[in-house]
Amino acid sequence: MTDTVVAPAPMVSPGVEPLLRVVNVVKHFSAGVGSSVKAVDGVSFDIFPGETVGLVGESGCGKSTLGRMITQLIPVSSGEVVFDGVDITKLRGEKLRQQRKQLQMIFQDPYASLDPRMTVGDIIAEPLVNFRMISGRAKDVRVQELLRTVGLNPYFNNRYPHEFSGGQRQRIGIARALALNPKLIICDEPVSALDVSIQAQIINLLEDLQREFELTYLFIAHDLSVVRHISNRVMVMYLGKICEVAPSEDLYTSQEHPYTRALLSSIPVPDPRIESKRRLVELSGEIPSPLNPPSGCRFHTRCPIAQVPGICADVEPQLELKGAGHLAACHFSDQVRTKIAVTI
Amino acid sequence: MTDSILEVRNLSTHFFTDDGEVKAVRGVSFSVAPGETLGIVGESGCGKSVTAMSVLGLVQRPGKVVGGEIMFKGSDLLKLSKEELRNIRGRDIAMIFQDPLSSLNPVLRVGFQIDEAMYAHDKIPKDQVETRGVDLLKQVRVSDAARRIKDFPHQFSGGMRQRAMIAMGLSNKPDLLIADEPTTALDVTVQAQILELLRDLNEQTGAAIILITHNLGVVAGLCKRVLVMYAGEIVEQGTVEQIFERPQHPYTWSLLRSVPRIDANRGHRLLSIEGLPPDLIDLPQGCKFNPRCPFRVERCFTDSPFLEQVAPEQRAACWVTMERAYAEMGAGNITDTSPGAASGIHPAGRTRPAVEVPAAVAESVSD
Repeated sequence: MTDTVVAPAPMVSPGVEPLLRVVNVVKHFSAGVGSSVKAVDGVSFDIFPGETVGLVGESGCGKSTLGRMITQLIPVSSGEVVFDGVDITKLRGEKLRQQRKQLQMIFQDPYASLDPRMTVGDIIAEPLVNFRMISGRAKDVRVQELLRTVGLNPYFNNRYPHEFSGGQRQRIGIARALALNPKLIICDEPVSALDVSIQAQIINLLEDLQREFELTYLFIAHDLSVVRHISNRVMVMYLGKICEVAPSEDLYTSQEHPYTRALLSSIPVPDPRIESKRRLVELSGEIPSPLNPPSGCRFHTRCPIAQVPGICADVEPQLELKGAGHLAACHFSDQVRTKIAVTI
Repeated sequence: MTDSILEVRNLSTHFFTDDGEVKAVRGVSFSVAPGETLGIVGESGCGKSVTAMSVLGLVQRPGKVVGGEIMFKGSDLLKLSKEELRNIRGRDIAMIFQDPLSSLNPVLRVGFQIDEAMYAHDKIPKDQVETRGVDLLKQVRVSDAARRIKDFPHQFSGGMRQRAMIAMGLSNKPDLLIADEPTTALDVTVQAQILELLRDLNEQTGAAIILITHNLGVVAGLCKRVLVMYAGEIVEQGTVEQIFERPQHPYTWSLLRSVPRIDANRGHRLLSIEGLPPDLIDLPQGCKFNPRCPFRVERCFTDSPFLEQVAPEQRAACWVTMERAYAEMGAGNITDTSPGAASGIHPAGRTRPAVEVPAAVAESVSD
């Protein structure tokens, strides 16, 4: 973990400063004497203004912990989170509060993330009140404007969360996140609790809002189809590490990490003709415990092309540039597409 | 179809709540042939799980099957006593659920729970139960089965628990396995393994499978025939190719276009379905999908459509059908999916807005 390669974003013109720079961030949760859960174990990446970066991985890979560290809801064990030029891991109290104003979050569960005892108007206005930005009549006007922006009836401001469906609640959460005119929104599984027909409404809304307000998103989800649809670049995480970063277009056609290829081959497609020809990358077993991650490459215990015993079990691969904006951490990335036959 | 093992006729299940009568399943009819894989797809609240629970006699108060017949091997399950039904459930018809952890008893060993199902039904000779338990666990590809069978559920991972549930379901060699969202709680790589397992077991054991899911991709991979449910009714049924390639009901069509596909080119906008599913206590007049349908016509507001043949083996409950929507309403290139957008039929008193309102806004204003 010495040199940290930061993923370049090919669509960003040179000279543009990243809006968010995450440098070698680590989170170890203590798990009793002498042991710790290595939830995030040295992750670095940049997010540039106006782009959507997707973060995918299976449960327990550390993607949500990473999202929460960026907003400092969980303090980092080590590493830097540079937002808008300032390392917010070094800030405390009022300074952190002010810097974090333009960094908002949308949560997965629209039932748990809204206070049931507050009216929708109060929920959306809370950030504004918190920062003493607005009060009285102007506040009501702003709340109604925000409700309209997210596609809700502006006169619903006096209603309570239980009167709304899951999709509508997610819109309320989005309105709250928009209240302070943020630059970056961390979307942590924003559609996975929603029904299929409602998911598309929220995805389209997020896309519209991005255009309208020049937002930048970090979009965290386990569903690679959704992530690829909305993102310019996708980062794939496995057991606390990023194993591949690729422009969304490349990800489907050329994978440089065996895990990404396995993940892609696992996703069912709503097309019976493709499905009948499907060939899976058979991954042996399930994700190992982050309490005691495998040596060398963390994926070697399940990898179909790993050299064990050998380099894969001994040496941890680093993220290396494989193509324009395309990084992967694999000793044998040149063999991924030839040796792992799949139909995807 | 006379050679079907299960035939559900005109099933209706309602829930009598304080807020009113929730008409969760209304007039559902379908059949399952021996060894067939049937998918039931729909969103939450569409009645797909209640349909399965009704088949197994597991609907609890305030719910009640209020009408219909469920013919299984020549007898109507709804007319059987609790005792008779218990002899069928777990023996001839088995079920696996979404959450494998809450379906297993945490204080009993996995092996005990697999064996218990076999002891209960006397189908497997008692002296063979324990070896069969290990064989089953091997069959569902739990490695080191002889040792793992002595584990407790918490020692199993999510995928292994679902494998154990499947082993339990198959223990008495059932004719029909009902799987209700069996992979929803699992990670995608594990989901793929479980689906492949179910596919293989269907071929090996010949047990028919009813797969209930909201995930269209899962259905496409496992099922030969598909029922699409919406608001308590079957709105379309057909072979998996028909449903996915030539859907005739606007709901099926819209559902397929609202999900991002991993193999699709990026940059296109998803065609979302505006609005929400209807309240099952206070259902709309006419077609239940009319408040959200871009292709609705006047008749949809007044008359309920019924399932009609649209192709061999394919039936849809729609006055318009996608064939007409393509021919007359330009369904092939619509971008506005708001209700009535393609047909120009908007609710009384509201004309089409001159300025294009973002679809999302239109939804909330209308409810």
